[in-house]
Amino acid sequence: MRGSVGLGELPQGWHDDRARDLTLAGLRGHRVVLTMAYAACHRICPMTMDELKRMQRVADARGEIVDFVIVGYDPKNDSPAVWHQYRLSRGLNRDNWHFLSGSQAATEQLARQLGFPFWKYDEHVMHESRAVLFDSSGVERAVLGSQNPSWSDAL
Amino acid sequence: MLNKLLIPARAIALGVILSAASLPAAADSASDAKLEELQHKLDQSMKMIEALGARVKELEGHATSGPVAAAAAPAADAQRLAAVEQQVVQIETVNATRQSDDSGLPIHGFADVNVGNDNLYFPYAKGTNVGSLDLYLAPKLGDRVVSLAELIFETGPDGHVGTDLERFQIGYQFSDKATVWVGRFHTPYGYVNTALHHGVWLADALRRPKFVNFEDKGGVLPAHTVGVWVTGAQHEGNGKFLYDFYAGNGQQIQGGTLDMQTGGNGHGAAIAGTRLSYQFSGGAVDGLMVGVNGFTDKVSDDRVNGDLITPNATLIRLNMVGAYAVYDTDMWEHIVEFYSFRDKTLNGSPGTHKSNAWFGQFAYRGRWCLPYVRFERASLDQADPYFNEQTFGASYYRSALGVRFDINAKSSIKLEVAHTRNTDDRPKTDYRPSDAEIGLPQQYNEILAQYAVRF
Repeated sequence: MRGSVGLGELPQGWHDDRARDLTLAGLRGHRVVLTMAYAACHRICPMTMDELKRMQRVADARGEIVDFVIVGYDPKNDSPAVWHQYRLSRGLNRDNWHFLSGSQAATEQLARQLGFPFWKYDEHVMHESRAVLFDSSGVERAVLGSQNPSWSDAL
Repeated sequence: MLNKLLIPARAIALGVILSAASLPAAADSASDAKLEELQHKLDQSMKMIEALGARVKELEGHATSGPVAAAAAPAADAQRLAAVEQQVVQIETVNATRQSDDSGLPIHGFADVNVGNDNLYFPYAKGTNVGSLDLYLAPKLGDRVVSLAELIFETGPDGHVGTDLERFQIGYQFSDKATVWVGRFHTPYGYVNTALHHGVWLADALRRPKFVNFEDKGGVLPAHTVGVWVTGAQHEGNGKFLYDFYAGNGQQIQGGTLDMQTGGNGHGAAIAGTRLSYQFSGGAVDGLMVGVNGFTDKVSDDRVNGDLITPNATLIRLNMVGAYAVYDTDMWEHIVEFYSFRDKTLNGSPGTHKSNAWFGQFAYRGRWCLPYVRFERASLDQADPYFNEQTFGASYYRSALGVRFDINAKSSIKLEVAHTRNTDDRPKTDYRPSDAEIGLPQQYNEILAQYAVRF
């Protein structure tokens, strides 16, 4: 059974899709929704992005700033440039959406700590649609997945 | 802060002085002891005032030099922070490596069961069938040493469970731009053969196009090669250039089925080939990949006639060139592959034979389901012993309509209806029964269902 994890306890060295350094602990101050994805996924990840977009609309309606963090499962292929193209092609241009790439070790560590099971089948990443919600202090508050009919209800 | 200290100190001193000044004149007659007491209190108050004044000066001095110290502090903190971050990253790396090495080898894989009026690979078998149990192992052997094994248990049309080490590769990754594999791998041609592999759940369609299926499932191409494979990718512009070069044991037709000579090459011939692709990224062509491929292969045929086996009865130079295009986005998955063959018979009755085959599959990724349609055509020269001596080497048309439903992230149900029409009338030969004898109808309709999972 995985225990609750704070943003500050996760690996911190990440690059966003503009190749800027970003630490997860630095996102405290707003609520954070963190998920993992890979850019070449056309089956699971689009559904995850749809859920995040719905959460964004709910946050907008409340006038709340929520940071959305998408960490790449596959750092070999999910480079900042690839994520930047992903963001552009899907119209996910807002500054509070952070597409992150990190080292293989940091990626695996984060996945383990937050309970994102995945394995690679050649170039494919076998994974699930899942997200973790942190409060504005960086404390984990909820795990979102297929058990939640609508992720935005958790906001 | 300083003002807060000064005000109470001054108040105390003033209070003491005023108290002393208000002593009545009658005090002349008071005892000297009382005067001395008051004098003592006054001395104490003066000392307190002096002490407080000194403290105020000290604090004011600190306040004056504060900005310099404040400027120096962040620099020192930043250095300490960077050092701590470095240590944390090192610890994370060590932990991640340790855990991956020590936590054993996870077993993942795929499985499927099927229901239909036909077996989806062997139309002469009917009803329900257990498909395959695919165990996928990819042990981590270090930063650059890579390996994978795909061990499959599958039932043949006779009901027996067979075991195949479908893939077994050990490689060395020089960089993202070059990995060298040695072992048994999926021959890099087209898209399907190296993108979809054996895990049935992975493919959107219920089954592969017939002629590019695996050798023991009706395919007529050398889907597996045992040899050496160099593969890599290089980012160019907004896209990615991918390349593959490979060489390995030449294939052999055994009992009507192509064999990749996993245990070693019995006739000393080889297959060699390449595939070059470009994957576009961004703009209107985002998701498009195009490629060309080709190989040359010296294939032998061990003709079996009763108990008589004639090794290398036929030697065929198999030459293939092809092209493919894939458009894979969040909304669409379209795959088109084309193959052209120009084969030479090297012994017996020498000759050159031309054949070709193609398929187009078009799918829409809906929110609840993924419908697809596929058209296949294989026009295979039956004077070419390479095709004629394979059990499923007949020319055919097939059109199929299917749909995939994902129940959750690990399981799916696929349905397909298909019509197949063989266009060659293949009589019995000394080494292969006729299609009719093994129950291959000239044309047939199929209604198929598949329940596929990954784990």
